[in-house]
Amino acid sequence: MTDAPLTPDEADAALAAEYVIGLQDAAERAMTAVRVQNDPGFARLVTAWEIRLQTLNDEYAPVRAPKLLPTIEARLFPRPGRRGLGGALWQWLAGAGVGALLVLGTLATLAPPSAGVVAVLATANAQLAFEVRYSSNKLAVTRVAGPPAVAGRVHEIWLIVPGAAPVSLGVVVDAPLVIDYPRPPEGWALAVSIEPEGGSTYGTPTGPVILSAVIGADA
Amino acid sequence: MSDDPVADLILSCAAGDQAAFRSLYRDTSAKLMGVLLRILSDRAEAEDALQELYTRIWLRAGRYEAAKGRGMTWLIALARSLAIDRLRSQQPRLGNDGLDLIADTAAPAKTRLVATGKALRLADCFTELEPERAEAVRGAYLTGLSYIELAERHAVPLHTMRTWLRRSLLRLQECLDQ
Repeated sequence: MTDAPLTPDEADAALAAEYVIGLQDAAERAMTAVRVQNDPGFARLVTAWEIRLQTLNDEYAPVRAPKLLPTIEARLFPRPGRRGLGGALWQWLAGAGVGALLVLGTLATLAPPSAGVVAVLATANAQLAFEVRYSSNKLAVTRVAGPPAVAGRVHEIWLIVPGAAPVSLGVVVDAPLVIDYPRPPEGWALAVSIEPEGGSTYGTPTGPVILSAVIGADA
Repeated sequence: MSDDPVADLILSCAAGDQAAFRSLYRDTSAKLMGVLLRILSDRAEAEDALQELYTRIWLRAGRYEAAKGRGMTWLIALARSLAIDRLRSQQPRLGNDGLDLIADTAAPAKTRLVATGKALRLADCFTELEPERAEAVRGAYLTGLSYIELAERHAVPLHTMRTWLRRSLLRLQECLDQ
């Protein structure tokens, strides 16, 4: 074994292993997670390590899980017409993890049965609006009114399952954001925040949340 | 259908099949609870994480493909990642809290790995490493120990631990990929 510095390939392989094993501190781990999301070659190195080390998984002894399935299902598959989930959204918006909270406007619209529009997020005067459409296992988010975020900033789209942390769907710049995704059910919420170019690196919104809507809620 | 029933269930979830999701929970929740509990070492925290985990599994099922490994490998990767994220966002574990327990129960890697098939291969490659370093890799993987905690436990500077393990991991990769 030598003490020579690692080559760039070796450094990437070692970093992928450190990430999979979980050796890093929170800040390093967050940075590596961003790289996994944005660098398909590096993401493959991570997958390769998950597979290399998978036989260690045999050492995890099963533990009977509590009966949480009904709770999880209620969260994932809310019954149509169920109310009160908007409260959960507001709790999240007002809660920790959202610095400098500034909600400029909220307008939720119904999901019409035919047009494929899941939700429209717009300011009250519709000067800025995003439309979320679903079709054949894809969600498309388009800015249908208003300017892009100021230079150096982007609009990031979040999906919020009631009671859970927000999940980033990606950023909308000029082209629509199109992602493979099942149709989100009524009761889930969507939000738009303003983030530094490239999006939030922390997995939760860091900038102001400017728009939000609960899917299927009356305006 | 494939020879990987868990993968089949994940693919059905990606297609929006809620019954498949219930089957997936029935068939995999005990193993994933075992993973979460081992890393988080707190029952209430692990139960909370389990709910978040299955929410993520449903949401991310569309990203699963055979290239990501067997279904259970992918699920455990998600579970470990979630548990480690939670662990790192908590206050650092102080002093030796919990570490004595891990040291007491951990047998050397080569005796603990079940010697069959691929496991035999991994066990073989682990024996090529210095025993202490093999044990550090294995302990970190199974229980979520960080570099900082490993350095403390082995009483070496953080930088030394990092250099040791990076070299060990590269040797492991070379051995496993032969």
